[in-house]
Amino acid sequence: MSTADCDVVIIGSGPGGATAAEVLCDAGWSVVVLEKGRNHLIDLDAPHEPLRHFANDELAAHRRHLLGPDPLLEPRTYRRTEADGDRLLVGEVNNLPSTVGGGGVHADAKLPRFREEDFRLRSERGPVEGASVEDWPITYDDLEPHYSAVERLFGVAGDDGANPFAAPRSTPYPLPPGDDMPMAVITAAAAERAGLHPYRAPTGINSIAADGRPACTDCGFCGGYGCPVQAKNDPIAALQRALRSGRCELRPESYATELVLDASGRRATGVRYLDLTEHPEPTTREVRVRHAVVLAGGAFETPRFLLRQGLGGDLVGRFLTFHHQTFTVGIFPEHGFPHGTGGERGRCVTHLHDDLLVDTADLRRAAAAAGLPWVRGGVVEHGAGNMPVEEAVTYGPGRHHLSSMRDSALRRRMWVFTMQGEDLPQAVNRVDLDPSVCDVWGAPSGRVTYAPHRHELVASAYAVPLHEGIMRDAGAEAAFSAASPPQGELDLHATANPLGIAPASRHVMGTTRMGADPARSVVSPEQRLWDVDNVVVGDSSVFVTSTGYNPTLTLAALAHRAATLLVGSC
Amino acid sequence: MAVALDAAVPGSVDLGALDYVEQLLTALDHEPPRIWAAPGRWDGPVGAPAPGAPAWLELGPWERQAWQRRLAEWQAAYDRIADGTAGQADLQLVHGHACEATYGDPAYGGNRGGGGWQRIGFPEPLHPPARGVRS
Repeated sequence: MSTADCDVVIIGSGPGGATAAEVLCDAGWSVVVLEKGRNHLIDLDAPHEPLRHFANDELAAHRRHLLGPDPLLEPRTYRRTEADGDRLLVGEVNNLPSTVGGGGVHADAKLPRFREEDFRLRSERGPVEGASVEDWPITYDDLEPHYSAVERLFGVAGDDGANPFAAPRSTPYPLPPGDDMPMAVITAAAAERAGLHPYRAPTGINSIAADGRPACTDCGFCGGYGCPVQAKNDPIAALQRALRSGRCELRPESYATELVLDASGRRATGVRYLDLTEHPEPTTREVRVRHAVVLAGGAFETPRFLLRQGLGGDLVGRFLTFHHQTFTVGIFPEHGFPHGTGGERGRCVTHLHDDLLVDTADLRRAAAAAGLPWVRGGVVEHGAGNMPVEEAVTYGPGRHHLSSMRDSALRRRMWVFTMQGEDLPQAVNRVDLDPSVCDVWGAPSGRVTYAPHRHELVASAYAVPLHEGIMRDAGAEAAFSAASPPQGELDLHATANPLGIAPASRHVMGTTRMGADPARSVVSPEQRLWDVDNVVVGDSSVFVTSTGYNPTLTLAALAHRAATLLVGSC
Repeated sequence: MAVALDAAVPGSVDLGALDYVEQLLTALDHEPPRIWAAPGRWDGPVGAPAPGAPAWLELGPWERQAWQRRLAEWQAAYDRIADGTAGQADLQLVHGHACEATYGDPAYGGNRGGGGWQRIGFPEPLHPPARGVRS
């Protein structure tokens, strides 16, 4: 052990890995963070100020893969079911950013907590045929102190008590809520008239100057973009603190390829990785650990890493969940909304409502009518944020182009409710290794096999008329809905559907499931692999159920808890 | 090429679409490559690079490999357009590029003078627009 390079290696620098790094460094441990992607976020030299690589630039962010991964280097594959053969498509499948800061860089940082019921879904609601609904091995109360700690770490801005369905809190939000999007105020009022309970979204974005970084300037280039003023907190706050401790080394362009195990095979002694700063033959390097390895590459890359070595058992990659997204689009008239809906200025989303996650008589009737024991939707985001290049591509070529752009139904006059619908876990939905497609470094690509359970489709169908009615009540002259992934004939969607045929959700969960029974889970309640004692998973792959809430705060709270337990165990 | 670009997005050639495509296809002839424009300055003249900062972000070596392949494929598509053998995928590519040239940041060679934004009433971005060559 005297030859160790550090106490812990963390694979992945997103919200989970960064949070774990901060906890471990704060406890006096030394940490090396390996990040496959490039660094556009933070200066590696002290005092570790933010880099200035991000701009209000739609082409770099959305058309030219600035945040990675480049699908020509790292193709992924997708199929709905095994009946589709090896794959339906190769290329971009649910690509979360591969860059320092991970998914935190592109997210618009909505950070709601889960509720008590989310950890006890089987006990509270019961089983569903064809799905694997289980309780988590931990409760909301177990995680609550870590929610509070991560909210402080990320500087979450929120409105205490605004959400009547929220779980109890031990601490207030550290920052006040940011400015409201004017259009969100209008649709929130309409939602209230429909009997719903919208509230200001908790966000990991500075509403006031804090932690050495400025307040959000409401520039509009938020979801899908790196923040030009670094007012988004969750990709940078934890990393910056870890680096400033002097005990953390961040190595971008370092592609972890192998856990190095001792002779027993039950203990990791290091991690091998490719040094991607070298081309075309990257050197394989090794970093040796004293205590542990934390896997935080996300619910797509973490199972892929384990599957390549045959670690973690037969359930690795299974119970993959996304959020089943239902989009209700409102098109608003020029008269009455002379400044448009405002999606091109302001935050992407400032209001949410949770009502479709709560047990109600209406939802019970909808479930019974569909032959289901219960049904839950998901948190609904009030927002917009389409930019002109994406709008232009959607309209297609031809003479109508300029009139469509000036009319701007899909940008200037558009507002959207996005329901992040709860996705029930199914063993057949999984990430595995594609049998013949590889990345540019020769490793098998990850393959998604995924089709929603009937529950998700019933919840979506329930939400559509409700939300279209609210849009019209808010003043929309037209409203329509679409869901992802699309159902029905693939030929219809392959070229025409702007959302594509694979799930559009960037919320990926559940592929190294947490549990108390080694036969039914991949990691223990402490998030340790059952078959390698000192390997901890610190990302959303440990989720037992998807719930219907944005996953980032919970995965960071879990990473905080796992790192805290790790420190306490050594 | 001009006919195809203007057929996809009328007026795109007047707004610099040919320059956009030219700059894109020759992006790797420059150092740093003209793939990702660096943020412009936060004060002072619009269009100037930030003081002391490069106008374009560096590509990593593997990103450079991917862009070499991508640009070669796109060059081949434009060659097919030029000799009249273009397929549907080629025309779809041209449409995407025409949209980018009309409504993307002027640093990339199109959207001349911000004219694409002006004709649809899109407010110029607040924060440092990605300015590369327009100093």
